[in-house]
Amino acid sequence: MSTPKAPPGTFTLLYFAAATSYTRRQHDHLDAPLPVAALYDVLEKRYPGIRAKVLSSSALTVNLDYVDVDEEGARGEAGMVIKEGDEVAVIPPVSSG
Amino acid sequence: MTDVKGPARAFMGEQSLSEDNIYVSMTYDELDAGRAMARVKSPKAGAVVLFAGCTRDNFQSKTVTHLAYSTYAPLALRTLLSIARDIHREHQLVSISITHRLGRVDIGEESILIAVSAPHRKAGWAAGEECLERVKDRVEIWKEEWFEDGGIWRSNRDGQAGMPVVDASNEKASSD
Repeated sequence: MSTPKAPPGTFTLLYFAAATSYTRRQHDHLDAPLPVAALYDVLEKRYPGIRAKVLSSSALTVNLDYVDVDEEGARGEAGMVIKEGDEVAVIPPVSSG
Repeated sequence: MTDVKGPARAFMGEQSLSEDNIYVSMTYDELDAGRAMARVKSPKAGAVVLFAGCTRDNFQSKTVTHLAYSTYAPLALRTLLSIARDIHREHQLVSISITHRLGRVDIGEESILIAVSAPHRKAGWAAGEECLERVKDRVEIWKEEWFEDGGIWRSNRDGQAGMPVVDASNEKASSD
């Protein structure tokens, strides 16, 4: 998928499956840097209800690696921060085969 | 019901990763069972097992018109390769090949081909079955199940009714 490159000062958030249907978008460019633990609040503001309907049952990847959002939140200041140019993805429950 | 415009293709044609005797790929083209089998055949293998997953015409007695698959391509390929490597090692296979189809898959057509070869049949049967279970559990590919009255995003994890498929286009400006 040729997702447009993230403009300066932003990162790319990819949506898949139920996340695309909920947001009606394939991706967003969001302001960076952003602590991973703060991401879901940002999305909930933009798409009310997305936490309960999509995010609570989805996983999250940053640059193709799975991230435990709760764990990063628990680390406070030491938690992962999403940087400019990163590729983040919402991964709803998979269904191949 | 008009067909909702599907997600843009992740890539054109086929994308694959391979190492010695391990091959995984995704493609928008129809799958080729003969080619999958030929890939894993070997003088060292007394057994070749092929699994083909096909689109069935119903879900809980509701008529299915077709399935459609989309993917997070770079991640799905990585996960496919990881699974193939593990299965190859754990069952001491000669060779393994996994190909998943993307885009629209009509009734009776294959969405996934898993081919494994082993010296003896016990490992072949076991490896094929285990491979499919892991693929369905982990690979970052999503299935839309289409009925006369619309499509649903399926989850392998639970049998619950999924979220309806809705047109998603980045042409619409997002609210700030």
